[in-house]
Amino acid sequence: MTGLIGAVSQVVLVAVGSPLLAGLMRQVRARLEGRAGAGVAQPWRDLRKLARKEPITPHGTGWVFRLAPLVLAGTVLVVAAVVPLVTTLSPMDGVADLFAVTALLALGSVALALGGLDTGTAFGGMGASREVTVMALVEPTILLSVFALSVRVGSTNLGAIVTSAVHDPLEVISPVSLLAAVALAVVTIAETGRIPVDNPSTHLELTMIHEAMILEYSGPDLALIEWASAMRLSVLLGLLASLFAPWGIATAGAGLAAVVLGMAALVIKVAALGVLLAAGEVFMAKLRLFRIPELLAGSFMLALLAVAASFFLA
Amino acid sequence: MTDSVYVPLLDLACGAFLLTGVLVLWRRDLAAIVRLFAVQGADLGALVIVLGLHKGSAELMIAGVAVGGLRAGLLPCLMRRALMAGGEGRETKPLVNVAGSLLVAAVLAMVAYAVSQPLVRLTPTPATQAVPVALTVLLVGFFVLVTRRRALSQVVGFLLMDNAITATAFLTTSGVPMVVELGVSLDILLAVLVLQVLTTRMRAAFGGTDLDELRELRD
Amino acid sequence: MTLLMIAPILLHVLAACGYAALGWRPATAWLGAVASAGTLCAAIALAVATTDHPRTAIGGLLRADALSAFMLIVIGVVALLAMLASPGYLAAEVAAGHTGERAARRYGILTQAFVAAMALAVLAASLGVLWVAVEATTILTAFLVGHRRTRQAVEAAWKYVVICSVGIALALLGIVLTNYAAVHARVPSAGVLDWAVLAGHAADLDPGVMRIAVALLVLGFGTKAGLAPMHAWLPDAHGQAPAPVSALMSGVLLSVAFYAVLRVKVIADIALGAGFARTLLVIAALASLAVSAALLLAQRDYKRMLAYSSIEHMGLVALGAAIGTRLAMAAVLLHVLGHGLGKSVLFLASGHIHQAYGSSKIAAVGGLTVRAPVLAGAFGLGLLALLGLPPFSLFASELGIVRAGFSAGLGWAVAAALVLVLLIGASMLSGWRSMLLGTPSPEGAAPLPAVVTNAAGGAAPPGQATPSPGGTSPRLTWTAAVPLVAGLLACAVLGVTTGPLRPLLEAAATMAGATP
Repeated sequence: MTGLIGAVSQVVLVAVGSPLLAGLMRQVRARLEGRAGAGVAQPWRDLRKLARKEPITPHGTGWVFRLAPLVLAGTVLVVAAVVPLVTTLSPMDGVADLFAVTALLALGSVALALGGLDTGTAFGGMGASREVTVMALVEPTILLSVFALSVRVGSTNLGAIVTSAVHDPLEVISPVSLLAAVALAVVTIAETGRIPVDNPSTHLELTMIHEAMILEYSGPDLALIEWASAMRLSVLLGLLASLFAPWGIATAGAGLAAVVLGMAALVIKVAALGVLLAAGEVFMAKLRLFRIPELLAGSFMLALLAVAASFFLA
Repeated sequence: MTDSVYVPLLDLACGAFLLTGVLVLWRRDLAAIVRLFAVQGADLGALVIVLGLHKGSAELMIAGVAVGGLRAGLLPCLMRRALMAGGEGRETKPLVNVAGSLLVAAVLAMVAYAVSQPLVRLTPTPATQAVPVALTVLLVGFFVLVTRRRALSQVVGFLLMDNAITATAFLTTSGVPMVVELGVSLDILLAVLVLQVLTTRMRAAFGGTDLDELRELRD
Repeated sequence: MTLLMIAPILLHVLAACGYAALGWRPATAWLGAVASAGTLCAAIALAVATTDHPRTAIGGLLRADALSAFMLIVIGVVALLAMLASPGYLAAEVAAGHTGERAARRYGILTQAFVAAMALAVLAASLGVLWVAVEATTILTAFLVGHRRTRQAVEAAWKYVVICSVGIALALLGIVLTNYAAVHARVPSAGVLDWAVLAGHAADLDPGVMRIAVALLVLGFGTKAGLAPMHAWLPDAHGQAPAPVSALMSGVLLSVAFYAVLRVKVIADIALGAGFARTLLVIAALASLAVSAALLLAQRDYKRMLAYSSIEHMGLVALGAAIGTRLAMAAVLLHVLGHGLGKSVLFLASGHIHQAYGSSKIAAVGGLTVRAPVLAGAFGLGLLALLGLPPFSLFASELGIVRAGFSAGLGWAVAAALVLVLLIGASMLSGWRSMLLGTPSPEGAAPLPAVVTNAAGGAAPPGQATPSPGGTSPRLTWTAAVPLVAGLLACAVLGVTTGPLRPLLEAAATMAGATP
């Protein structure tokens, strides 16, 4: 019962909180850049405005284009339900497998890339090809780094990995865990299209990735995509927090109070990570597009070293 | 120090040692490379101090401070001076591009792991189990030395190898005899000084420290 | 006894201090030669004292046995030749404007410290101290190689320091691993890297660790000994260094590094069986011979030609060490001495030729026989010695290695080596012929007279030999000729009879782990 409540609260928290996280990050950036900012709730107001508009699809696009936002949002919600963010006792724990989660995230990205291609415009195609290039390096890195963490647990179940980290907090400072943390942090940034890989706040740059793919979307479809992207960011940040700072997560035998505590801990951890990321973005410039594979190869190599270290130092 | 604290701390120091070594491959900015090298020297010092705390040996802890002082303080300082004098900030054209060399580093880690199996098998303690980490840094240092085309990058490659050898010495047997250790440190210091002077001469003779310019002597 | 063992190091350190305090002047120029003569005397005394059993000094830090004493003799002899030639060489360099007063002083300090480091290397009781001394030779000679500060000199110095330091770093890793195996085998901690103690406990050392350690040690010290595959620094460094330094580097430094390999081999043979080190050495030997044969074929520079010939001879020495029988080891040691003598004579002679013609290209030198008969004779005879022709000692030692090889079942390796040696001989002879015979090339002769006259005048102490008459011949003053003739004579005498050296050679061969 606790597990079910935990899982539902997790989904609700992610669904409601993600735009607020996006708003928080924009607000932090604005303040650091000396602007007043639009307020934390501004993404929600944007979403409401977009959702009220008339749905328009460009001439010549097919079902792929219309379906892509739904698939994207759907996959993110499923991931939000299974990943151990608030509790490790999700009733869908069997799905919370490392490979399943990675595949779900990849499915969302591929759907959006196909949606971008379906428009047949230059920008859509460019964005899709870049997204796939980034994805080709990001997905193996996620797999490898979580795999490195799973070696000592002996299971690829995310719940099991987090549970073991809760019980043995010293493992978090082991080199395996640190290398994997750095690798995962880099790919989280790449996957969610933040600086230095992509710039989320503009679609005026020629080297943009995410914004190029969704250039043709408008109205409710765009709202869905924006919402799903925000959820992706918070789910990935939450996963990062759960794997490397698993404090406060409700584990086996915990009551309702633990779930509430877990929600509070999740909000705090993700908000802290978001503020950190936003603050980092202020001081950084976007990488040139051809330097991005270098960055991602670096994180891939760190993940590989994490796997190696999990055997070296075993 | 109990095992439950000692092992994670030791592993942490080794992990940081490995990470800084590999990141040298990733950066092109020579100043950043020197900084990374300094951080690695500090890691090495910390590693030796952790070993000393575990064994309760004051001698080892002093050695750790000395090693850290030489490799995190003196040598980076020398290199920074050479860098200041030159004004060439970046590694322009490594023989293997950055993404490629990072992947090579991953392969080198596997090779180091395979090679060091007999060493780990002899005494499987937490410290010897970290020897593959040191050997990985050794191979990475050799790779930097072979593929980088700036004089300073080559010096850093050589020093990475030397750090790795020192780490191996402490991880396997808590160090070689004191006379040898002192002699080795002195030799390394002098070698870096010699290379620094040669860099200056190279700049005077060739107008730069790009090693691709060194092609007067060849058969 | 202690004094006798410290003397070789101390004398050169004192001489270095002397140069540091007084600078390089006519009065102090011979300081190095005096110190070298002292070293030679101490070495001979040590050889007499250590024929029966090894001696130690300074709390076991230094140890001398027959092998160390023999190597010390080689160091003393070659250092004496090089130091006798140094004053003349430097005077000529100063006269030609290549060297200033400060550079001359630095030359004095560094060469003396260099010889002291080599003496320390062969007297060290511990593998670790041996390593420190060998690495010190790299550092000390770096500026000697880059003496002239031209582009080529800087390039050669850079390659030399980087390649040798890296190679020797691998040897350090080998020492660290040996230390690990020794600690694990409960070798008493006082002598954990002492090679005599190690050899005593070698049977207990873990074979898995020692295999890696020995491979690294052979590769590392092999780098410094100029063995393939890490030989690339050698032709550049030997080609660019001042002639007496080239003589020292080629004549002894390579053998001192190889001495380390011999010490390692003794331990490896007990710990791993004779096969492991033998395989490594045979590979290194044949690779070195092949490299030098390939690169000598079209060599246009006579100093580099001599450098490649050093790689060849180190290859032969490595082959002899791989064979490892008593005859082979004695031949190896004789070869080291003979090569030291012959190669230093040739490098010293090539220094005079270089100063006279201003170029180290073979094509720039022609008709040397007509213009400087003594120099040409020394150069030609030295080459014949290097090619292993009788009566020089290299003939006897090469014959010894070949005979030992065939009887030890390494006939195929020896046969391959002989083919390569013949090839090397042919290419060296063709270069030599055009230098000694042939017509003097006009472009080489043009800037000649001024340089040579100055050189000879500067070299001769007042009131002695007169500058060469006629002006166009690079004739030798007698001070310059003495080391050449003495070296050749010694080499020839050794070829005829080893005389009092025989018991020392046999004792040293035993110390180097010769199997009966």
